[in-house]
Amino acid sequence: MSLSNPALRQQMRATTSASPSAVPWALILLLPAAIALGAVAVYPILNGFWLSLRDTSLATQDDNFVGLENYWLLASDPLFWNAWRHTIIFTAVATLLETLIGLGMAIILYESFVGRSLVRAAMLVPWAMPTVVTSKMFGWLFDGQNGVVNWLLKTSGLISDNINWYGSPDWAFVTIVIADVWKTAPFMALLLLAGLQTVPHSLIEASKIDGANAWATFWHVRLPQLTATLLIAGMFRALDSFRIFDLVYVLTGGGPADSTETLSTLSYKTLFSTLQFGYGSALSTVMFLTEIVIAIGFGIFIVRKMRRAS
Amino acid sequence: MSKNPGGQTVSTMLPAVGRRQFLGATAAGMALTVAGTRRARAAGRSEISFASARFVGKSAVAKMIERYNSSQSKVHVSYIELPPPAQSTEVHQGLVQQLARRNGTPDVFTQDVIWIAEFAGAGWALPLDSYVAQAARKAYYPGVIQACTWQGKLTALPWFLDTGMLYCRSDLLAKAGAKIPQTWDQMVAISTQLQQAGAAKYGYLWQGKQAEVLVCNLVEVIASNGGAILGPDGKDVLIDQDPAVAAVQFMYDTIAKSKISPAEVLSWDEEPSRRPFTGGDAVFLRNWSYVDGIAQDPAQSSVAGKVEAAPLPHFANGKSAACLGGYQLGVNANTKNREAAIDFALWMSSPETQLVLASEQGLAPTRPDLLDHADLAKAQPAMSRLKQVFMGATPRPVTPRYPQVTLALQSAVSRALASGDVKSELSAAKTRIASIVAKS
Repeated sequence: MSLSNPALRQQMRATTSASPSAVPWALILLLPAAIALGAVAVYPILNGFWLSLRDTSLATQDDNFVGLENYWLLASDPLFWNAWRHTIIFTAVATLLETLIGLGMAIILYESFVGRSLVRAAMLVPWAMPTVVTSKMFGWLFDGQNGVVNWLLKTSGLISDNINWYGSPDWAFVTIVIADVWKTAPFMALLLLAGLQTVPHSLIEASKIDGANAWATFWHVRLPQLTATLLIAGMFRALDSFRIFDLVYVLTGGGPADSTETLSTLSYKTLFSTLQFGYGSALSTVMFLTEIVIAIGFGIFIVRKMRRAS
Repeated sequence: MSKNPGGQTVSTMLPAVGRRQFLGATAAGMALTVAGTRRARAAGRSEISFASARFVGKSAVAKMIERYNSSQSKVHVSYIELPPPAQSTEVHQGLVQQLARRNGTPDVFTQDVIWIAEFAGAGWALPLDSYVAQAARKAYYPGVIQACTWQGKLTALPWFLDTGMLYCRSDLLAKAGAKIPQTWDQMVAISTQLQQAGAAKYGYLWQGKQAEVLVCNLVEVIASNGGAILGPDGKDVLIDQDPAVAAVQFMYDTIAKSKISPAEVLSWDEEPSRRPFTGGDAVFLRNWSYVDGIAQDPAQSSVAGKVEAAPLPHFANGKSAACLGGYQLGVNANTKNREAAIDFALWMSSPETQLVLASEQGLAPTRPDLLDHADLAKAQPAMSRLKQVFMGATPRPVTPRYPQVTLALQSAVSRALASGDVKSELSAAKTRIASIVAKS
């Protein structure tokens, strides 16, 4: 950036209220962060986009510029749309369930009771576990023949025949959602618990004095105060669950009948099994764009909420 | 590199990175570790490198190389260690990155049978026709030679194999007064009879998970009906033809109609399908040769001594087929030391080496005669009984686009097995696969 423009210099001085000699220093100090970000974030994204315009394949040794051809192919690829749909549905359902359950957990953990700190710590165990371990565990729990879930459902009389959790296209997706919710609801609870603690106690006391019952206090006092936290936590979760990979990869490999194929598993297969780097990069670019749309969607609500608050 | 008597340095394994090798030296450096190269070698030997997945124990491959190095004084082989075969995606990547550089490293390599056409199609594998006479090829199983041949040229040398096979509970067969089934119909009848009598929970277990193993099961059933997935030229797509449709319909019927297989097979690969069988719940199991060791071990199996391996059944008008797996040898087309590379590859594929590999490491020979060898019968009695099973060895579709073809097959067949809509799923698969192989 050139600082020879006096107007600009004036403006910078006004906004940063720094002395003129501090400005180059500030830029120099920013440089390491900028370089690091450029190297690990900007460059790979741009390079990925550039690759998506080529027919690069390691196996066939093609490497030509093909313009938007990969994107046209993608648009007419039923497997891509199938994975895209699953990923969107998964993101929406998992995020919603995790937020609701996490909120419930946060409210309970906010109240003081004997052994609260123990419960708070224990609650984080599912989240702290490596996902591959979670996947293996759910593989056993939901085993169609000998799984404890089927046994419980059968013993309690809820079902008469074993449910084929992983072998049926209808259930496999549900099972993966359940596993993800189990694993990450505690993370949501933690974020929301932090949010709850920022709600001023005076407000709660005031509502009690006004004769509000627990539900009214929650609905009219706590929840509105919690909205910003909810939105930010929801955005984290949504962006994270959009990349769902390990659970699917370990449990079902995308099957049966492509019913659990997500964008991450599909791009892994395209990039690393078939080594089609061009086409795979187009897939990743579309994934990235979809994530941006999700982030913007949440961002709009968050900004609006913050403006209203301030 | 010749100036370095201590063996190759890491930098010679990772030469200057070209424009296409964008994955770069770092990735290859992580995937490959140079092992066993810091050994003094006799002066004047030709230096060649051998890249291989890490089979069996950590040192099994290194030991074979050592044996070769000390057996002669002209060639010295160094080992480029790839990940174990269980991580075949990584092994594949590692090999592709090396071979794509076209700089002659590695001189010799081992490859999964399903990559042979891909490497040959890319021009990375040296045709070996002038080194292996037609008569010499007869010493190998015909299915393996078929898998090693691309567009009429022999581009790989057989090393070791494994195939699908039928495990039967001999005690239950005796109870039913039946012999090992020859046809699928017989197998269904025996299974149903024993299931209805309450002697077994399941009739037949196989692997229907949307994964590579599903394609292995598929190849076996289709070939046992005289069908194929691709024609011999690798271009004709035959997956929508009657023999293939009837085969997939049979797979579907084992779950939906005859109910000899539980619906869970649709999510099972090798181990989940093996456990109920060795737990005593099933009459028949389709699996690879590794199961025999577990099934006969009383510590891991409740049916030890009651299990027999046999060729898989076939349709009334077909022949038994066994999906071929295993790693075969390739010589780099860009090798700078062709004579030495060929010599080493031929040595690795020789009867003597294969016998050692089979007796000591349990990797089954690709030469049928060796299965009659007295030493093998002593060291690996179970393996020596598999000669007939391996006779049915049938390659998966031979095409350089196999990685894409298999994903399309897995998707389509998994859909067909889940919905029962076999004909339309297979004709959709035909369109998709035809557009994939048309480009090769």
